[in-house]
Amino acid sequence: MTGNRSVLSGWRAYLYVLPILVLSGLFLYYCIGFTVYTSFHSWNGIDTDMKFIGLDNYIKLFDDKSYHIALRNNLIFFVFTVGVQAALGLLLAVLLRAKLKGNSIFRSIYFIPTIMAPIIIAAIFRIIMDTNFGSLNEGLRAIGLDFLAVSWLGDPKYALMSIIIVNIFEWMGFSMTLYYSALLAIPDEIYESAKIDGSGFWRTLFKITVPLVGGTTSTLVILGIVGSLKTFDIVSLLTGGGPGRSTEFLTTYVYKKAIEEFNGGMSAAAGVTILIIALVLAVLQIQFTNRQQRDL
Amino acid sequence: MFINLRKIDKWVIQAVLAVFALIWLYPLVQSVIKSLEINGFGNYLAVIRHPKVNYFLVVFNSFFIAVCTTLIVGLLATLAAYAFSKMQFKLKNVLFYSLVACLAIPATAVMSPLFFTAKTLGITNSYPGVILPLVAFNAPFMLLILKNYFDSIPNAILEAGMIDGASSLRMYRTIMIPLGVPAIINIAVLTFIYSWNDYIIPLLLIRDEKMYTVTLATQFFTGTTSQTPEMVAQLYAALILMTIPSIIVYMFGQNALKSGLTAGAVKS
Repeated sequence: MTGNRSVLSGWRAYLYVLPILVLSGLFLYYCIGFTVYTSFHSWNGIDTDMKFIGLDNYIKLFDDKSYHIALRNNLIFFVFTVGVQAALGLLLAVLLRAKLKGNSIFRSIYFIPTIMAPIIIAAIFRIIMDTNFGSLNEGLRAIGLDFLAVSWLGDPKYALMSIIIVNIFEWMGFSMTLYYSALLAIPDEIYESAKIDGSGFWRTLFKITVPLVGGTTSTLVILGIVGSLKTFDIVSLLTGGGPGRSTEFLTTYVYKKAIEEFNGGMSAAAGVTILIIALVLAVLQIQFTNRQQRDL
Repeated sequence: MFINLRKIDKWVIQAVLAVFALIWLYPLVQSVIKSLEINGFGNYLAVIRHPKVNYFLVVFNSFFIAVCTTLIVGLLATLAAYAFSKMQFKLKNVLFYSLVACLAIPATAVMSPLFFTAKTLGITNSYPGVILPLVAFNAPFMLLILKNYFDSIPNAILEAGMIDGASSLRMYRTIMIPLGVPAIINIAVLTFIYSWNDYIIPLLLIRDEKMYTVTLATQFFTGTTSQTPEMVAQLYAALILMTIPSIIVYMFGQNALKSGLTAGAVKS
């Protein structure tokens, strides 16, 4: 593939990468540069007036309790959604792997929420989880579990958990689908010999299946961190970051600072912290795909 | 991992799967039931005849935006992946890594400049105003998937092509695209779902009700709900109507979707 005369080298190559570079330049690099620039300025997010204030936005940001809550929520959200989605997805995939009657119908049912817009799922759950009229609490009261009929979205103690539950509902089918196809690649002989050795269900699951689907698990973890960093729609519709600021996420924080509080500078500073996390994630993802490539 | 299952084991497995299926079906089924309360199908008619939100236009907007985004991402990312995978040029690695470094960036992180860029270009409230940012934010991840897949296509095939005197563009059409099909389906499916479901980019860049996407229209209906039972029934009807296109796309693209999600990106 080398040699200067080759049609696969020289100036022509730039023509192939030019379109994507132009678009990224306009909507990614320029926007990133602008965000970094404004993060050092005092700016209301609307006019052209900006005043250089050095690191003040960052100092205020790191002192802001709601920002700490947002960071913490993103982390809790990531750990629980990825953990539960993976565990439940793997368990159901294993059961589906038995290929009994109704297999493909079950898979479709679990998968449907994944193709629905998160905002629609959030809208449905907002009514289901309504304290007074929601069918969740109606159901709990009907079976005498009144003490469990809490204010799912209105009580700071439960609101984050409710958001996590909705996200699990949306994405479990995705984990299940990836695990299912990973399981299809595992030959039956491995399980036959495990059975001969007298290995039971849970032992086989943890000693054989879990290690064999490790690649899928890593993929889900990386996609899960990226997803939790992007989470905006379900939070903004379910709780709007409330009650108070208890379910603030990094994205809702950036949005509110700019749109509701006209603090473009601090919003940008919070945006920059997201960009830094995103960059670290990209490095992880690239290394991970390269490693997968080598393992093939 | 189930060899020679006893009857009772089969029952247990089916029962567990069925319980979870009921939980997963419940929100959808109850939405359908509630959407028919009070006025029956009248709720659906009321949504379709809504004076401000034109249902068919909304679905068309989302569909058009998702299809265009998918086609443009497909074109730009395959061209670039071809060059990054098979060609020699200066700054190759620098350019590649600076592009894919953006793969995890949420549009929210750079929302203010995004809005001003679109405004300066005069593309707010228009199709390009949503499509171009969607392409820019989705392309880096798709480029990474494609480039990795293209790396697995042997160079010898291209060398043979060059001996036959094929141009680089011709090899793109006759070698890279046909051999890259699994990865291309994969990125097409992901891009379509991501752009159909995107909420923040239309929220920032669309004001005009004629340009509403499915996600914005959903927000419009939830935003105007007062708690009268009639309004709730209508909201449910709206949610079902907004979901129907996804279900149809899913039914038609089921196989492409499942193979697409698992091919290329995930090799385990």
